[in-house]
Amino acid sequence: MTMTFERDVAATLQMEAAHRQRRFAKGLGWGGLTVAVLWFTADQIGMNPLALIKGADHMWDFLTRMFPPDLSYIFFLGRATVETVQIAVWGTLLAVVFSIPLSLLAARNTTPLVMLPWFTETWQRLSLHLLVFHLTRLLLNMLRGINELIFALIFVSAVGLGPFAGVLAIALHATGMLAKFCGEEIEGVDQGQIEAVQATGASKMQVILFAVIPQVIPAFISYSIFRFDVSIRSATVLGLVGAGGLGFSLIKTMKLFKYYETATCILVIFLLVAGADWICSKWRAKVI
Amino acid sequence: MNQEPPETTTPGQERNPTMVSVKDVSKTYAGAGATEALRNVSIEVREGEFLVILGPSGAGKSTLMRCINRLVEPTSGSIIVDGREVTSRRRELRAVRRQVGMVFQQFNLVKRLSVLMNVLSGRLAYHTLWRSLIYSFNKEDKRIAIECLARVNMEHKTFQRADTLSGGEQQRVAIARALAQQPKVILADEPVASLDPKIARQVLTYLKQIAGELGITVLCNLHQVEYAREYAERVVGLSRGAVVFDGPSGKLTDDILQQIYYRDSEAGDDDDV
Repeated sequence: MTMTFERDVAATLQMEAAHRQRRFAKGLGWGGLTVAVLWFTADQIGMNPLALIKGADHMWDFLTRMFPPDLSYIFFLGRATVETVQIAVWGTLLAVVFSIPLSLLAARNTTPLVMLPWFTETWQRLSLHLLVFHLTRLLLNMLRGINELIFALIFVSAVGLGPFAGVLAIALHATGMLAKFCGEEIEGVDQGQIEAVQATGASKMQVILFAVIPQVIPAFISYSIFRFDVSIRSATVLGLVGAGGLGFSLIKTMKLFKYYETATCILVIFLLVAGADWICSKWRAKVI
Repeated sequence: MNQEPPETTTPGQERNPTMVSVKDVSKTYAGAGATEALRNVSIEVREGEFLVILGPSGAGKSTLMRCINRLVEPTSGSIIVDGREVTSRRRELRAVRRQVGMVFQQFNLVKRLSVLMNVLSGRLAYHTLWRSLIYSFNKEDKRIAIECLARVNMEHKTFQRADTLSGGEQQRVAIARALAQQPKVILADEPVASLDPKIARQVLTYLKQIAGELGITVLCNLHQVEYAREYAERVVGLSRGAVVFDGPSGKLTDDILQQIYYRDSEAGDDDDV
């Protein structure tokens, strides 16, 4: 009994050593490959520290032209700052409204199943009964994948220069992000609570209202606030393509070579973003 | 397996009509290593009866219960509740589910809703979607809900959020939610498995009172023999998906328990007994 016991322990110990050596060799191989790929990549995209050092005096020149910032320009930025916040508020609000139904469609456990009477089994194997789910996910991936600036370019040509194009750009992109996040949150809810409400004889929609939504609402609100914070950051640059806000003042002063005023714009953007970050983190902490 | 002849239990209930009738129900879970959870199970339960389904973990107790309200779709066989065949057609199924309350091992209250809202969700099947859309219930519903809470002595916690309650309190609220459906049957799936013995007895007492006073048929899954002996009028022993005993709890002999818990084949599996 003891003999076999000791033999077993020794054998397992030996296996552990072999296992460790294999893991080390594997780690070395992958590590080497990663370093090689990164080195090659750096070369391809022309990463050259020397260029940075050589260009230092150009950068210095640019900075000195911005310094000291023309602080009196702040008074002309008031309208643009408020507009930036307004774009973010409406963009996020629209995204919240759009993403409530979309997130329900983008979660496997709440999406309507497409059941056709024929070929049911084949359909299920291809998970085609999740057709609505897949189409919604595709739509959300498109919305998420396209940057706000690109949406802004499209909407500027559609509704003209100005903040409304910015609102639409932010709304679309944020909808993609919010609905995907919330959909995943819905997929992670406690199944027991759903079963309990189902067992009362509640309809599918009632189950969503009474068992799903209460579970995801804190995460949804918290993420919406986070999205608002991100939207403010985005809204500060949308003006670069003519979609309103501080970005427009930034690009305007730069094009006119009024670098002292550009510096003031950057300062205001920094203060706005930092302020939004601070307020949003307080707000989220309160919700959670 | 030697099957005891089905015996009806306490006098007085013999003449009560059948409330739940399970006929030849089998369930095989598909997938790798398909498991046969239920094998040709047949049980008749009368109105107002308090029936304990006894068996070790994995015997199929939970599956049997879930087949009755179709949270699980049986592979074959038929189930009739209050004269109505349980089907998977949505509208009919909802009508059956409304008559069948369920109590779970993990309570399954919606944690972020208030106690009252949880109990009111037992009323959902009586309402259209439009009303539910704004989370509104009428006065009669609220009266029923509070009455059900009072029945399990939980009315003093009406406005508290469900996740602030202790386990025993949550289970009592869960019983109130099932009662709010004004059901004919209550299915209790291991209702005391996560509670300490004192609270467990309290919860079982409530369930038994309900069967007695309101004439609701209660089916209760248990794995502890002593509770079954203490509370059950009639016991159905389930082992590896098949009924191995059906009779009054007084007839639960050691022999029969051995069959239910197959102590002979798997040593060390009898801690619960």
